[in-house]
Amino acid sequence: MQVLQFELNGDPIEVAAPPHWTLLEVLRYRMAMTGTKQGCDKGDCGACTVLLDGQPVLACLTLASNARGRQVTTIEGLLPAHRAAGGSGADPVQEAFDACGALQCGFCQPGMMLSTRALLNRNPEPSRAEIQEALSGNLCRCTGYTQIVQAVETAVAQACGKPAPVAAWQRDLEEN
Amino acid sequence: MASRDQHGTQPPWGESFQVVGKPHRKVDGRAKATGSAVYADDIQLPGMLHAKLLRSPHAHARIISIDTSRALALPGVRGVITGADLPTKYGVIPWTMDETALAVDKVRFIGDPVAAVAALDEDTANRALGLIDVQYEALPAYLDPRQALEQEGEPIHANKRGDNVSKHVELSFGDLDGAFEGADLVLEGDYSFHGSTHGMIEPHCAVAQVDSAGLLTLWSSTQITHYVHRALAHVLDLPAHRIRVIQPCLGGAFGGKSDPFALEFVTAKLAQITGRPVKMLWTREEVFYAHRGRHPMQLHYRTAVDKDGTLRGVDAKILIDGGSYSSFGLVTTYYSGQLLTGPYTFPSYRFDSTRVFTNKPPCGPKRGHGSVQPRFAFEVQLDEVASALDIDPIEIRRRNFLGEHTKTVNGQRITSNGFLECLEKVERASGWCERRGKLGRGRGLGVAGSMYISGTNYPIYPNDMPQAGIQIKADRSGVVTIFTGGNDIGQGSNSVVAYLVAEELGLELDAVRVIAADTDLCPVDLGAYSSRVTFMVGNAAIDAARKLRKQVVQAVAEKWEVDPARVRLVGGFALDLEDSERHIPSCEAFQIAEARFDTLGATGSYNTPTLGGDYRGGTIGASPAYSFTAHIVEVEVDEETGRITVPKVWCAHDCGRALNPMLVAGQIEGSVYMGIAEALLEHHQVNRFGLHAGPSLLDYRMPTTMDTPEIEAFVVESFDPEGPYGAKEAGEGPLHSAIPALANAIYDAVGIRLRDLPFTPAKVLAALAEQREGAQQPQPTV
Amino acid sequence: MLRLPQFELLEPSSVYGALAALAEHGEAAMVVAGGTDLLPNMKHGLFEPGVLVSLARIPELTGIHVQPDGALHIGAMTPLAVVAADERVRHQAPSLAQAAGQVAGPQLRNQGTLGGNVLLDTRCQWYNQTHFWRQALGYCLKKDGTVCHVVAGGKRCVAAASNDTVPALTTLGAELRFERLGAERVIPIEELWQSDGANNKRKEPGELLTAIHVPATPAGHHGAYGKLRDRGSIDFPQLGMAVRIDLDAEGRVAHADQVVIALVARPTRIKGTEALVGLTPGTEAFQTALEELAESARRQCRPMDNIPGDAAWRREMVRPFTRRTVLAALDGTGPVTG
Repeated sequence: MQVLQFELNGDPIEVAAPPHWTLLEVLRYRMAMTGTKQGCDKGDCGACTVLLDGQPVLACLTLASNARGRQVTTIEGLLPAHRAAGGSGADPVQEAFDACGALQCGFCQPGMMLSTRALLNRNPEPSRAEIQEALSGNLCRCTGYTQIVQAVETAVAQACGKPAPVAAWQRDLEEN
Repeated sequence: MASRDQHGTQPPWGESFQVVGKPHRKVDGRAKATGSAVYADDIQLPGMLHAKLLRSPHAHARIISIDTSRALALPGVRGVITGADLPTKYGVIPWTMDETALAVDKVRFIGDPVAAVAALDEDTANRALGLIDVQYEALPAYLDPRQALEQEGEPIHANKRGDNVSKHVELSFGDLDGAFEGADLVLEGDYSFHGSTHGMIEPHCAVAQVDSAGLLTLWSSTQITHYVHRALAHVLDLPAHRIRVIQPCLGGAFGGKSDPFALEFVTAKLAQITGRPVKMLWTREEVFYAHRGRHPMQLHYRTAVDKDGTLRGVDAKILIDGGSYSSFGLVTTYYSGQLLTGPYTFPSYRFDSTRVFTNKPPCGPKRGHGSVQPRFAFEVQLDEVASALDIDPIEIRRRNFLGEHTKTVNGQRITSNGFLECLEKVERASGWCERRGKLGRGRGLGVAGSMYISGTNYPIYPNDMPQAGIQIKADRSGVVTIFTGGNDIGQGSNSVVAYLVAEELGLELDAVRVIAADTDLCPVDLGAYSSRVTFMVGNAAIDAARKLRKQVVQAVAEKWEVDPARVRLVGGFALDLEDSERHIPSCEAFQIAEARFDTLGATGSYNTPTLGGDYRGGTIGASPAYSFTAHIVEVEVDEETGRITVPKVWCAHDCGRALNPMLVAGQIEGSVYMGIAEALLEHHQVNRFGLHAGPSLLDYRMPTTMDTPEIEAFVVESFDPEGPYGAKEAGEGPLHSAIPALANAIYDAVGIRLRDLPFTPAKVLAALAEQREGAQQPQPTV
Repeated sequence: MLRLPQFELLEPSSVYGALAALAEHGEAAMVVAGGTDLLPNMKHGLFEPGVLVSLARIPELTGIHVQPDGALHIGAMTPLAVVAADERVRHQAPSLAQAAGQVAGPQLRNQGTLGGNVLLDTRCQWYNQTHFWRQALGYCLKKDGTVCHVVAGGKRCVAAASNDTVPALTTLGAELRFERLGAERVIPIEELWQSDGANNKRKEPGELLTAIHVPATPAGHHGAYGKLRDRGSIDFPQLGMAVRIDLDAEGRVAHADQVVIALVARPTRIKGTEALVGLTPGTEAFQTALEELAESARRQCRPMDNIPGDAAWRREMVRPFTRRTVLAALDGTGPVTG
C-alpha cells in the first residue's frame, strides 16, 4: 500500500492504494469520483480520459502513483473550476454538449468533454479537422459524433462571439 | 383498442405546442454533463463483494465434474456457485427457454459461464477462479451454420428432432408462382451479412443486495427491467413481489442489454448466500461473449418485376446463424421476413427462414433486429433490377410506393407513411439529379429505403395487460413527478415523457421530474426494445396527464366560477382565456385541485389495438405504426487500395411528429454511423477454434471521429393518427437502408456489385479484378 | 475490470537509480515508460514482473536537444505527442514527426514515449489476448505454448514488429543509447533487431534505453511516413513505411531509403532504392523508377497472418503505399494513411 498525494480538481488529496492500482481504479473505487468511466479495460476506448497536468491521458493505463505530485482533472472538476473563475452554470463545454444533444447515453462523454476542454485550452479556435483529431481517441457509440462536433463548434463560436453552427435538420425545419 | 389510446396529433392547448417539437435539453443532460449521473458500476455499497465468472474454454463440451473446494478455501472468498445452484432454465421468449445462468451439464461456446465466485475484491475472485477444477469431455463444435444444419453428431441443444434447428418459419402471401411466371424480368442472387455487435461503451454490470427479510434489490444495466424482474422470480423461485429491479443510468445498449444475463442471477444468488451486497462488472472481453448481436445471415432472393419496374413478387430463403442459445431468435426468424413488405408494394411474397444453433456467442437483437440483413439484400437486388431495366433507382422506389393507410401483403396495417417525402428530401439535398453518374469513376451515389416498427403488439409473454403504464403525482410545490417503467438507454425516453407531460399540464420543464425503471416505484413498461418506447410510453404519459389536467382545469374553473373551456394551463400558469388579468402559477392551481379532489395523481396506460395477419406469427412484426427512411450515401472508392470512404450521407426519416427534433436527429445520425460502421469496419468474427477473433475495442473496429462520414439528417413528419401527438419511432429505422445505399453507391462509383458484407478492401480489389476480367455481371434471367 | 497483476513499484529519480534497481532485481524487474504497451500486456497476463521500475520521475530522460552538429538528441521518455509536434523534428526529420503523430490516439501519444515505441513488444492476434483467451486457445509459441498458429508447424515466432517510429528512425540513421550500471553502448538502430518474434531485440538484461540520437539531415532532406490501418486513429499499423529522399542542390535524388514494418518480427529495409539516385523527381525516368521500386518493394515484403488484416491485401498495399509515401515525402504532404 502506498500513500499518494496529488491535486484532484484543485483540492489536495491523500489516498492509499496498492501499487498495481491504476489511476482509474483509485479515482472510482477509492475516491468515489465515478464520473470517470471505464469502457474497455485497456486503453482502447477513451472513456476514462482525465487531464494530467492539463494533458488528456487514459486513467486505465496510468499507474496511480504517476499522479503523485501532479494535477488531475476529472469531469467533476470542470464546473467548480468554471465557477471559481467567476462563471455561471457549468463549463461552456458541458453546457454546449447538453444543449446540442451530444449527451445520449452519456457514458463516453466525460472523457469526450475533457479531451475537448484540453483542446480548447491550447487552441481556442480549432478547425473541424483539429476537433476530429483531438477527439479521435474517444469512442462514442450513440451519436455518430455529429452532435458532439456541433457541440464543440458551438462552444468555440460562443467563446468567440460568433453564431453557432446550424445542422442540416435545423436548417430544414426552419425552411419548412 | 381503448379510446384512451387515441390522443390526436394536435397540440392540447391552442394552435401550437409549447414544449413539443423544440430542441429542448434532456432531463438528465446536466447530470451526464457534470459526471454526477449514476451508472451501475458507480454503485458501491458497504461490505460489497465482487463476483467473477469462470467461463468455458471449450466451444462444445460436456461437464463431467466441477470441484470448487479449493476456491472456497481461498482466504477472502465468500461464496462459490455452479450451475447446480441455479439450474432453472430461462430465456426471454417463454417458448424457448434454453439458458441457465451457469452451465448445467454442457457448455455451448467459448465463454459460456460455468461457475461464479464472490470475494472481498476482484483480485481474490480472479485467483479463486483459477482454483476451480472443471473436467470436460470435449464434443465436436459446430462453427458454420450449414455444417450445423447438416450435423450428424450430438446437437447443441437436445430436442425431439435431434437437429440444430432453432426456428424455422415459412410463410407465403399472394400468388407467388403466378407473379414469377408472368414477369418481364426475374433477378436472383445470393447475399450474405456478417455478424456485428452493439459495442455500447458501458460494459454490463449488476449489483445485488438482499435485506435481512430476504427482499432482493438488483441494480442492473438492463434495457428491459420488467423481463429481468420476471426472470429473477422464475430462476430464483422467489415471488416477484420480493424482488425489486432498478435500472440506473445506462451507458448504451442498442439491443445488447435486452436479455436477462448470467450476472443478474449470479449476483442475486451470491447475495442471498452471503448476506452481503455483490457486484459483477464484466470486462470488455466478457461483453463480447455476452454478445446477442446481429445474426449472420445467408440470404437468397428472387425478385420478379414488370418491365416498368413494378414489383410482382419477392421470394426469399434465409439461413440464420443463431449462435449457441435462442435469445430472441424466434422473433429474429419472423422479423427476417415479416418486416420487408414496405415501403414498397409486394403483390406476392414468400420467405423461408431457418435459424440454426452454432457453438458461438449467442446472437440476438441489435438495432434493427432481424430486418437489417434482408433489407440489405433486397435493396441491393432492387438496385440491380433498376439497373437491368435502366430505371433511375429513386424512380423505381417511387413507382412501387406502398402508400399510406393501407395494408401490406402479409397483413400489416400501415397508417401514416412519409416515405416519398423522405426520398424527395435526400434526392434534393444530395444533388442526386445533377450529380449522380457525373462524379467521375471512383465516386458515386447510392440510394435505399426501408421501414421499421414502432413496437409491436406481441408482448413477448401472452397477457391482456397494458404494454405501457405511467403514474403521475402532482405536488403542492408545483412539481410533477412521472413514474415510468420505460427504460431510458440514452435515447432520451425519460425526456420524452417529461416533454409530453409538461405540454399537457402547461408546465416548464424544470417543474417535471422523471423516476424511471424501478419496479418498486414505477408501473410496468415492457422495456426499451422494438422501438416501442416513444409510441407506447408516450401514449400512456398523455393518457395519465390528460386525466390529471382535467381535474386541475375543473377545480380552477370551479374556483373562478367560469366554464372549464376558459382555463388554459401554459408556461407554468393557469390562465383565464377571457380575462388576461386572471392567472395563477401552476402550484396554486395544483393546490386548488388538491383541495377539491384530494391528493393529486393519475395513471395512464397504452395497449396496442388488434393488429397483424390472421396466421401463426401474424402478430410478430405487427406494429401500430411504421417509420420510413431513405438514405443516399456518397462513396469514394480507391481502386488501388480497395478502401471505401464515405464522405457524406443524407438520411431522411419519417418519425411521425418529432417530439424533440434534436433527439430525433441524434438517433438518425447514430443509426447512420452504426450502419456504415458495420458495413465497412466491424466484424464479430469467430475463428477456427471457436474463439472470438478479437474481443476488444482495439480489434473490433468501431469508427472514431476520423472514420465517420458527415451526416445530414432530415426529419420528416407524417403525423401518425395513433402515435403520441402523431409520433413514431426514430431509433432503429434509420440504420437499415444505410448499408444497401452504401453498396449501391459503390456500384455507381466503380460498377461492382458487392453482395457479401463486410465490404473489406480485399473484397473490393477482388471484385474490381473480376470486373476487369469481365466476370462480374448481374445475371438477369427472363 | 481487467486487473493488473501485483508488483513492487520502484520510481527512481535518476538514470543511475534506475540502473541500480535493474541491476539489483535482475530478471524479476521490468521497465515501464509510458505504460501504454506494457500495462495492457500485463493485464493480459503476458508479463508478470515482480518489480516494475518506472521511469516517470527521471527528468533527464525527457526532452529534445539539438546538438552542435545539428543532430537531435531525444530523451527516451519524451512523449510521442511532443516528438510529433516539435518544430525541429518536423523540419529535420519529418518522417519521424509524422510517425510519432500516427501512433495510437491522442491520449496515448501524451503517455507513450519514443523510447517505449522503439522497444514495443511484437504483436500477434494469437498473443495480444487475455489469459482466458490464450488458455482456451492452448497458448502459442511466444508465450506459454509450443505451437505457432500463424505458420503451421512454425518453430520460430513470427509476431509482427509494430513500432510506427522505427522505420523513420532507421531511414534517418538513428542511434540508440543503452546504459547499464557502469557501462553504455550506442548502436545503430538497425542492429537492435533479430528475427525472433518472441524476442526481437538484442537488448541485454539490465540495459536501459536512455536516448535516441537522430543525425542532422541535409538541406535537401525529404521524408514521410505511410501507415496502413483500418481506422484513422487508435490502430496499430497493418503496414508502416518510412521513406527518405535527399535531393542534391540540383534537385536530383542523392540518397533514397525505405524501411517497412508490421510485416514480420523485424523491420525490413527495401533493397533497390538506389535506383532512384541521380534521377529528378517529376521526370518520366523518376516516375518509371518509382513504379519499379514500388513493385520490387511489394515482392520483398511478405506480411503474415500475424496481425489482424488480410495478409495478401497488406502485401498488395506495399506498392501503392511506396509510391504515395515517396511522393508525399517530396511534396511535404505526409503522412500517408489509408
